[in-house]
Amino acid sequence: MSAPGRTEGDDGGTRRARRSLGVLPAALDRRFEAVVLWSADPQLSARTAQDLQALRGAALAVAWMAPAPTHSLVERLGGATPDATPLILADSGGNGAVAVDDTGPCEVEWPQPEESVDALDRAGEAVVRKLADLGIASALSPHSAGATRMSVELMGDPAVPSTRLGFKRFLHGHGIPSVPHLAGLAMEAARQVGLDDPRVVVEGGSVQIALRDAGDVAAEVLHELWRRGVDPRDTLVVIDGLSGVPHRPAPVVVPDIREASVVLVNGGRGTPAAGMVALTGGGARVHQLLADQLRRRRRRSLPEVIARAGWSVAIEGFDPGVERVREALLTLANGHVGMSGAALGDHAGRHPWVVAEGVYVAEGPASHLLTGPVAFTVGELHAGDPLRRVLDLRTGVLHERSGAEGAGVESTRFVSLNRPTTAVLRGRYPGALRPGPPLQPPADDATVDAGRTGDTTWIRVAGSTGGITAAATQTLTRRSRPAAGSGTGAKVLDRVASYCTDPVDLPEATGAVGAVDRAATVGFDRLLAGHRRAWARRWEDADVVIDGDDELQLGVRFALFHLMASVADSGEAPVGARGLSGMGYGGHVFWDADTFVLPFLAATHPEAARSMLEYRIRRMPAALDAARAVGRAGARFPWESAQSGRDVTPKSARDRSGRVVLIRTGQLEEHIVSEVAWAACCYVDWTGDDDFARGPCRDLLVQTARYWASRIRVASDGGAHIYGVVGPDEYHEPVDDNAFTNVMARWNLRRAAAAAEATDGDGDAGERERWVELADALFDGYDADTGVYEQFAGFNQLEPLLIAELAPHRPIAADLLLGAERTRGAQVIKQADALMIHHLLPDEAAPGSLEPNLRYYEPRTAHGSSLSPAIHASLYARARDFDRSLEALRIAARMDLDDLTGSTGEGLHLATMGGTWQALAYGFMGLRPAAGMLRVDPVLPTSWSALELRVQFHGARVRVRKERSHLVISADRPVPVVVGGSSFVTGARDLEFSRHGPSWELSP
Amino acid sequence: MTRIIAAIDNSAAARPVLTMAEAIARALAGTRDAVHVIEDGDETARACAEAAGAPMRVLPGDPLEQLTLALAEADVVALVLGVRGRPGGPRPAGHLALALADTTDKPVVVVQPDARPPARLHRVLVAMEGSPGKARALKRTIQLSADAGLEIVVVHVDEEIPSFTDQVQHETGAYAREFLSRHVMDAPRMRLELRIGVPAAQVLDAIEEFHPDLVGVGWPQSDDPSRGAVAREILDRSPVPVLLAPVN
Repeated sequence: MSAPGRTEGDDGGTRRARRSLGVLPAALDRRFEAVVLWSADPQLSARTAQDLQALRGAALAVAWMAPAPTHSLVERLGGATPDATPLILADSGGNGAVAVDDTGPCEVEWPQPEESVDALDRAGEAVVRKLADLGIASALSPHSAGATRMSVELMGDPAVPSTRLGFKRFLHGHGIPSVPHLAGLAMEAARQVGLDDPRVVVEGGSVQIALRDAGDVAAEVLHELWRRGVDPRDTLVVIDGLSGVPHRPAPVVVPDIREASVVLVNGGRGTPAAGMVALTGGGARVHQLLADQLRRRRRRSLPEVIARAGWSVAIEGFDPGVERVREALLTLANGHVGMSGAALGDHAGRHPWVVAEGVYVAEGPASHLLTGPVAFTVGELHAGDPLRRVLDLRTGVLHERSGAEGAGVESTRFVSLNRPTTAVLRGRYPGALRPGPPLQPPADDATVDAGRTGDTTWIRVAGSTGGITAAATQTLTRRSRPAAGSGTGAKVLDRVASYCTDPVDLPEATGAVGAVDRAATVGFDRLLAGHRRAWARRWEDADVVIDGDDELQLGVRFALFHLMASVADSGEAPVGARGLSGMGYGGHVFWDADTFVLPFLAATHPEAARSMLEYRIRRMPAALDAARAVGRAGARFPWESAQSGRDVTPKSARDRSGRVVLIRTGQLEEHIVSEVAWAACCYVDWTGDDDFARGPCRDLLVQTARYWASRIRVASDGGAHIYGVVGPDEYHEPVDDNAFTNVMARWNLRRAAAAAEATDGDGDAGERERWVELADALFDGYDADTGVYEQFAGFNQLEPLLIAELAPHRPIAADLLLGAERTRGAQVIKQADALMIHHLLPDEAAPGSLEPNLRYYEPRTAHGSSLSPAIHASLYARARDFDRSLEALRIAARMDLDDLTGSTGEGLHLATMGGTWQALAYGFMGLRPAAGMLRVDPVLPTSWSALELRVQFHGARVRVRKERSHLVISADRPVPVVVGGSSFVTGARDLEFSRHGPSWELSP
Repeated sequence: MTRIIAAIDNSAAARPVLTMAEAIARALAGTRDAVHVIEDGDETARACAEAAGAPMRVLPGDPLEQLTLALAEADVVALVLGVRGRPGGPRPAGHLALALADTTDKPVVVVQPDARPPARLHRVLVAMEGSPGKARALKRTIQLSADAGLEIVVVHVDEEIPSFTDQVQHETGAYAREFLSRHVMDAPRMRLELRIGVPAAQVLDAIEEFHPDLVGVGWPQSDDPSRGAVAREILDRSPVPVLLAPVN
C-alpha cells in the first residue's frame, strides 16, 4: 500500500519543533482520526493551511473553527476528492458552517437555539437595568435583525477604566467582586427574563450575551464529524489562544466537547479546564501537534480501540467451546461478502471463513453457501493471552489485541462498506513474525486454481454455478516504534484483499487483481475513512435510541448492524436465514427475508430492500413454473430457495430426538406467496417508488393473485376456501382455511386488483372482478362474538391445552415436549399465526380484535420459533401490555448475543433481528406508512425515558422521538404524517406534540 | 508400546475379558497382558490366558490396590476386567471397576460375563453429555477410536427440551454441528445421534439400534454418592462391554 503523501521538509520542521518545544504529553501520544483547529484568528496562515491539507491527504478529518472563515479556504485545504475525508469550516461565532465531503461543499444546518432572538433583547435590557441598579451605566450595542448575539457596553461610560486592573477595581467599587461575577450577574439577569441557557462572555468592558457561542459550535463540529464516522474520542481539538473561548460556568470550559482530547495552546492568563492539556509554544506548537499526527500516519499507526457503551461488542479471551458463536457475533460483512470474526492467530479451534451472497454449491436441498479464500488469517502468528476483540458497530471495524499491553499483537480489520469488493487488515506484530501468504484457500471447498500476478496472490473457488475469486496483497514494514521491552521493533502488516463474486460465472482472476491494485493505491487510512463514513451514513438513517435500557440498546444496535451488513444494495440480494454470518440453513432464502428483514431496509435503506425484491423478481420464471407444475396459474414462490429459485426444501429430516419427520413446508407452507407481494408493497409504501409500483410490484401482485385465484376453491354455499396448507404454526399440517394464509391471500387479491386497475385501465376487468369476488368470499375464521380468529378450521375442537401452564419454561419446542402427535391434536402452536394478521396487516384485522386474539393465543403459544418473541413484543406493545412486551423483546434482542438457540455458531438469526426492529417501529412507535402518509402512534414503557427512530419515508429523512408525554417529528423535507388521527406536514421546524389524556396536541 | 491389561478372575468370565482386551489391543496396534490377583486359585485363569495366548502375571494381595498399580504403568492405556454380576444386581459386582475408575485417569473397560466381544472392533458408541469435563474425558476415547479407524457413533441425550426448533430440516444439523464443535473432535468416520429424554434409556436404545462393539461413558470422580447414575445404569443393562472414562 502506498504511504500518505508528504512534502519535503516536514520531518525537518517536526524535528526542529520537537527540539525546541519538547515532547508532547502522554495524553497526546496516540493516533487521532480528526483534528479540529479552533483559532481566534480569522486568518489561516500558510503553514497551518499546509499542515491541514497534508492531514487531509493522510485521511484525517479536519475542521477549522475561526471567526468568519471563507469558502475560499475549501480549495486551500484540499477541496473535495472521491475518497476525501471530511473538511468542516465553521464560524466560531455560530453563524454557519460548510462541510466538504466527497460530493463537494454544502452548508451545515446547525440546530436552531431553543430561545428566540426576542428573549435575547429582553436579556440585554435586563442586564442594563441590573447594572444601573448597581450604579453602572451601560448600553445595548446595535445588532442586526435575527442575530444570535448582543453586547452590553460598559465602556461607553467614561467612568469605566480602560485598564484591566482599573476595570476590576471599578467593578469591586460597585459591589461586583470580579469579572466572573459580572458574567454571573449577566447570566442571572438573562435567565430571569426567560433566556434559560444564555452564553455570556466578558471581553474588556463588554458583556456579550448569545444564544450560541464557540463552545456550541465546537460541539456541533464534533457532531458533524460523528455523523461522518469519527468518534469524538478520536478527535484532537487544538484551541489556538484563549480569545473567543466562552467563559461558561464550572466545571469545564466547554463541557460538550469533553470526550475529545482538547489542547489549549497559549491560553494566557486563563486557567485550563479539567481534562484539558495546556501547552505553550504558539504557532510552532500547533504545527508540532499537527505534524505529529502526520508522522503517525506515515509510520502506519493503528487506530485506537474505542469501546463505546451501546456501540461495541467486546469479547475477552479464547474459548474453543464457544468460538463459533463468537465468530458469528463478530462477523464483518458488507452485503456482498461476509467474514467470520475468528481470531487472527493460530488458536486451535478457530474457524476463519468467507461466504458471498448468492453464491451456492451443490443442488437442491443440499445446496449451501460456497466458502471462499480467507484473507483474515495470519500465518505463524503465535497468539498470546489475553485476547480481546472489540467490534465497533458504529463503524464496522473489528479490533483485536493479544499478548501483553504494548508488546503483543494488535490489528484492525474491516470489510469495506463503500468498496464492496474490498477487505482490509492492518496489524502490528513482533518483529520476528512471518505473516505467511496474504490469502489462504477455504477449509471446506476446493480451489479451482490459484496463482500470483506481480505481488498479488489470487485463488478461485467455484460453486455449482459461479464462484468466488479473491486476490490479496500485503506489505510488511518495520516503521513502527519498538514494542515496549522488546528492543526489536515491530512490524506493520498491511493487507488488502478483493473479492469478486458471481452466482453464475466464476470471475476471472484479473478483476480481483485489478481491484486489489486500486484499493492498495488508495491506502489503509483512506479506505478506513471511507468505510467509516459509509457506516455512519447508514446509521444516520437507521439508528434506534432507547434511553433507559442500556442492555436492550446494545442488543438492538447489534441487530441493526448485522441487518445492514447482510444485504447488498445493488443487483439482487438473496438473503439467507443467517445472512452472511455463517453457513447455517445453507444460505437458503425463506419468508424470513421478505417478512422480517425487508421492512427494516425498506424504511431505512430502500436500495437494499429493492435488491432483495430483485431476487424475487428474477425468480419469477421459476415461480411460474412451480405453479404450472401443480396445475395452478400465476406464480408460486418457494418456501425455501437458493440460486435457481426452485424450491429446495427437503422432504424429510431427523429432529432433535432422533426421529425421522416428514418436512411438508415446501409443499404446503404457501403463505410465502402472498408475503413476496407484501414485501414489494412494503417497499412501495415506504418509498413511494411509483415506477416500481407500476412495474415489478404490479407484476408480483398480479401473478401471486393469479396463483391464489387458481388455488382457492368455492364451496356450494359460495364461500371461498384454501384447503391443505401449513400456517406459520408448523405444528399442525395440513390444515384448511388457515386464517393468516387466507387473510394474506385476500389482501393479495384486492391489492392486485387495485394495482392492475391503476396500471391497466380497462384491461382484463373480468379477472380483476373475479379476484375481488374471491377475496370477499374468502373464509377467515373470524368469530365476531369472541373477537377471535380460529387459526384454522377445526382448531377450536382440538384438545384444549395451555402450554403456558404445562411447559416447564417458554420458549419451548412443544413438539419435542409433547410429541408430534399429541401436539398436532392440541391447541398448542409454535409461533404467532392468526396474530400475524394483526402484525402484518393490521388494517385487515377486525377492529378491536388484537386484545382478544392475544389473550386467546399467547397462552397457547410455545414460542418454539425464534421468530415468535419479537412479533409478540410488537403486538403486546400495541396492546399496551409493556411487561409482556419487554419480556419478549429482551428475548429477541439477546437471541444471538446469549446464544439462546444453541445454534448461533451457524450464523445469526436475521429474521429475529428484523423482528426486533419491527417491535420497536411498528409496536412501540406505532410507525406505519399508510395511504401516502406516515402514521405515528407511539407508546413508551415507564422504564424508558425516550425512544427515537430514524427512517426514510418517500425520500425524506425522518426522525421520530417519543419521550414521556412529548413527541417530536422532524424531517428534511415536507412529510405528511398522521398523529392522533389528525394530519400534519413536517416543515422547516420540527413537529412537536404534547400528550393530553388520550390525544396528542401540536405544540405552537 | 501401547499395552492393554486384561484383569481376569479365576472363572470362565475371563474368556470374554481376554477377547475384548485383544480386540482393543489390535485396534490400537498394541499388546495385551493378563493379570490375575489371586483370591481363590488361578487354574481357570491360567487356562484361559494360555488359550488366548496371553502372558499372565499372578499378583497377590488386594485386587483394587494391585490393579491400580498395574494400570499406573506408563505404557498401559486401558484395563479390561470382567464382572460377575451387575452393579444394581443382588451382588453389587462392578464395584471393583467403579472403584478402579475412581483412582485412575485411564479408561476401564467392563465386560459382562455373558458378553461376546468380537475379535476385531468395528464400531464404538460414545454416550456424551455436554459438560466440559465429560467431553474432555471422552474426547480421548474418540481420539483413540478415530486413530484405530473405527466407526464412531456419538450419542448426545438432552434431558431438557430445547427452547427453539425453527426449521427442523436445518436446525437439527445446526445444533449437531455446534455440539460437535464444542465437545467432540472431528473424526472421519463419526456421526452424531441426537436424542431427547432419559439419558440411560436413550443410550440403551441407541445400543440396540447401532449394535456397537463397545460403549464409552464418562465416570465422574467425586464424593457425591448419587454420581454416575447414568453410567451405572448403562453398566448394569448394556449387552456390550462398557468403557468408563474417568472424569475429574
